[in-house]
Amino acid sequence: MTGTTTIAQSLPVTEKPRRTLWREIVKSRWPYFFISPFYILFAIFSLYPVLFSIYLSFTEWKGLGPIKFVGLKNYSLLFKDSVFWDSMVNGVMLFFIYVPLQTLLALVLAVVLNSKRVRGFQLFRTLIFIPNITNMVAAGITFRLLMNQENGLFNILLGMVGIPPVPWLENVWAARISLGLLIIWAWLGWNMVIMLAGLQTIPGELTEAALIDGASHSQAFFFVTVPLMRQVILFALVLSTMGTFSLFTEPLVLTNGGPMRATTTPIMAIFGQAFSNFRFGYASALSYVYFAIIFVLTLIQVRLGGRREA
Amino acid sequence: MFRIHTLRQLTSVLILSVIVLAACGPAATPQVIVQTQVVSQVVTATPEPEATTAPKPSGKITVWCWKAAQDTIVNPGVVADFNAEYPDIQVEFVTYNPGDIYQKLPLALTAGTGAPDVSCVEDSHLAQFVDLGGLTDLSDRVQPYVDQMNSYKWIAGQKDGKYYSVPWDSGPVVTYYRRDVFKAAELPDDPDSVSAAVATWDKYLETCQTIKEKTGSNCFPNNKANNDGRLYEMALWQQGLGYYADNGDITVDSPENVATLQKLGEFWEADLVSDQQSWTDGWYADFSTLEKPVASFVEAAWMGVFYKTWIAPGTAGKWGVALMPAMKDGQVRAANDGGSGFVIPDQSQNKEAAWAFGEFVSMRKNSQNKMFAYGDFFPALETAYDDPLYIEPDSFFGGQVTRKVYVDVVKEIPTAHIYGPRYADMNKFVSTAIQKFATGEMSAEDALKEAADGIRSNQ
Repeated sequence: MTGTTTIAQSLPVTEKPRRTLWREIVKSRWPYFFISPFYILFAIFSLYPVLFSIYLSFTEWKGLGPIKFVGLKNYSLLFKDSVFWDSMVNGVMLFFIYVPLQTLLALVLAVVLNSKRVRGFQLFRTLIFIPNITNMVAAGITFRLLMNQENGLFNILLGMVGIPPVPWLENVWAARISLGLLIIWAWLGWNMVIMLAGLQTIPGELTEAALIDGASHSQAFFFVTVPLMRQVILFALVLSTMGTFSLFTEPLVLTNGGPMRATTTPIMAIFGQAFSNFRFGYASALSYVYFAIIFVLTLIQVRLGGRREA
Repeated sequence: MFRIHTLRQLTSVLILSVIVLAACGPAATPQVIVQTQVVSQVVTATPEPEATTAPKPSGKITVWCWKAAQDTIVNPGVVADFNAEYPDIQVEFVTYNPGDIYQKLPLALTAGTGAPDVSCVEDSHLAQFVDLGGLTDLSDRVQPYVDQMNSYKWIAGQKDGKYYSVPWDSGPVVTYYRRDVFKAAELPDDPDSVSAAVATWDKYLETCQTIKEKTGSNCFPNNKANNDGRLYEMALWQQGLGYYADNGDITVDSPENVATLQKLGEFWEADLVSDQQSWTDGWYADFSTLEKPVASFVEAAWMGVFYKTWIAPGTAGKWGVALMPAMKDGQVRAANDGGSGFVIPDQSQNKEAAWAFGEFVSMRKNSQNKMFAYGDFFPALETAYDDPLYIEPDSFFGGQVTRKVYVDVVKEIPTAHIYGPRYADMNKFVSTAIQKFATGEMSAEDALKEAADGIRSNQ
C-alpha cells in the first residue's frame, strides 16, 4: 500500500514541468499578446533573414533570377579569399590599436568622475558621452577634413609647432591609427558609462580602507578597483571585440576601407560581396564563417576573463 | 572544448549568440539626401503635328540622375522641348549621387518595386545591371539608332544580343593643359605644338621634366595611397587592353598591362606627380590655382564642364586641349573614360513615356547638341556632329575649336574590355594593386599578379 502511494504521489511531480511551461504561456497570453510586436518583427526582420542566409550560403544568387544550389562551393572558395582574411587581420590589428587604450581610458575617466571630488560630474559625463550620439557620417566626414594631409586642421596646427605634416589617411598604419582615434572619440563615452555603472556597485569603504592601510591611490586603483571591476571590464571588452570586427560606418566614411584595403573590416568585405558584387550566396557563407569566428573569440574571452580566481 | 553544464550556462550562450548576431546586423548606412524637383509643367502650347496616329504616351515619369547630368538635361531647355512634343508627360527628377544610384537601383530591381521609370547609369556600372536583370529589353526600339551611335557605346548595355540601354554621352579622352604653365616654361602653348610635345608617354614625361625644372609645376595629380585606377584604365583602353579577354579570361596581370603600369610609374619615379586624391579639395586646387597649378591632366571630354563650372571657373582662357599621349610612336591617341546612358527598369508602369524621354534626350540631334553646348557632355550620337556648333571656338580654352577635337578622338577609340559586369570589383582590386606599386610596397608585376589572383578566385 505504502509503495503505491509513493509512486502515485511522485508521478505528477515528474510531469509537472512540461505542463507548467505551457500553462504559464496560456496564463500569460495577454502580456504575450501585448509584447507580440517585438517577436513578430524579430521573426520577420532578424530570424527569417538569419535562417534564409543559411540556405543562401549553399547557393549562388544575384538577388534576381534563379537561386542555384552549389553545395559547399562558397565555403571552399572563401578559404582562398584574400580580401576577407585580410579584413579579419585588419580587425585584429584595429583591436590592438584602440581597444586596450579605450578600455583603460574609460576606466580611468570613470574612476575620476566617480570620486566625489569632481564638481559638475554630470556635465563631464554628458560631454564625454555626446560623441556617441553624434551622427557618425557627419563625424566621419569632419574627421576626414581635419585629417587631410595638405589642408587639414590637424596638420596646420602641427605645422605651427614645427611638426611636419602627418599622412593621417595616406599610409596603411596611419590610416588604421586614425580610424582608431575616431572610434575612441566616438565610443569612449559609452564605455565610460558602463564602467561608471560598475563602479557604483562597489562600496566606497573598500578603497577607503585600502587608503587608510597605507596604499597609494594608484595601488588602490590597480589592486582594489580593477579586480572588483573584472566582470564589467570583461563585458566592455567583449562588446568592443565584436564591435571592432563589425565596424562599418566609421571606416566607410573615413577611409572607404583604404588605403590598400588596410581599413576594410569583415563587415565591409561581406557588404561589398552582397551589395556591390551581388553575390548573396557567397556573402551569406562569409557571414556564417564570420559569425563562427566571433562566437569562438567571445567564448574564449569569457572563459579567460571570467575565472573567479586568476 | 567548452562543456555546457547547466541550463543557465546554455541560456547565457544563447544570449551571447543573439548579441553577436545583433552586432553582425547592418550598421547605419549613410543617409541619402533626396532632392525632388518637378521640372516640367504641362505646357499648354499646341504640340507639333505628328505623322503617327497612335496615341501619344502620357503620365508622370520619375528619372534618377546625378546633379551634373540633371542640370545638363534641364537647364538648356531639353525638358521644355520634350514637353512641347509630349505635353502630357510630366518628368520628375530625383537627384542622387552615382554611388547612391548603384546602391539603390539594384535593391529596387531585386525587390521588384521602388525603381524609377528612367535611371542614369554610367557605362562603368551598366554591364553589371544588365547582367543582374530587371531592365527593359529595348532591342526593337533602339534598332534604328544602332548605326547612328558610337559603336563601342552599345557593348556594355548588351547581353545575349539584346539591348538594354539608351546611350547618351561618350568620354573621348584628351590632354587638358594649362597654357600659362607651358608659357612660363618657355614652351609653345598652341594645341598642335602641345599635342606634339605629348605625342607619347615618354615625350610627355620629358616635357613635364622641363616644366618642373623651369616652373616647379607638377605634370598631373595621381594619388599614390588612394589611387582610383582611372588614368591607368585610360592608358589600357587606348591600347585595346583591359581586365579580361574576348573569351572572358582575366588579363589583369598580362605583360602588356604590367608594362602600362610601369610606364605610368615612371612619372612617380621622376617626382612629377601631385599626390592629391581625386575629387578632393586639394585636387581641385591643383587645377584652379594660379600659382604652380598642375601643367596638364589626361581626362575625358566631360571634365571640361567641371573645370568651367565648379572646379576652376577662375582660370577661363588659360586652358588648352591636346591629344592624349600614345603608348608608342604612331599608336592610337584615343581612349574612353566614363560616359553614361539611361536604363528603363522592367517594373516601370509607363515604359512608353520612359522610352519617349530617353529617345528624345539621346537620339535627337537638337537635344544632344543643346546639352553638349551647355555642359560638354559629348554626344554618342554621330549624326549630331554635323553642326556649326562643332567649329565654334571655346573661350574657356583660349578660343580653341575643341569640340572638333573630341569628334576626331571618338572615332579612334578602340574596343577594350574594361567596363564588364564585374567592373566595380575589378577596379577595386586593380586600384589596390596600383596603390601598392605606387607606394613602393610591391613591384608592378607582383601587385597586378595579386590582383589577378584575387579576381580569379572571386568568381
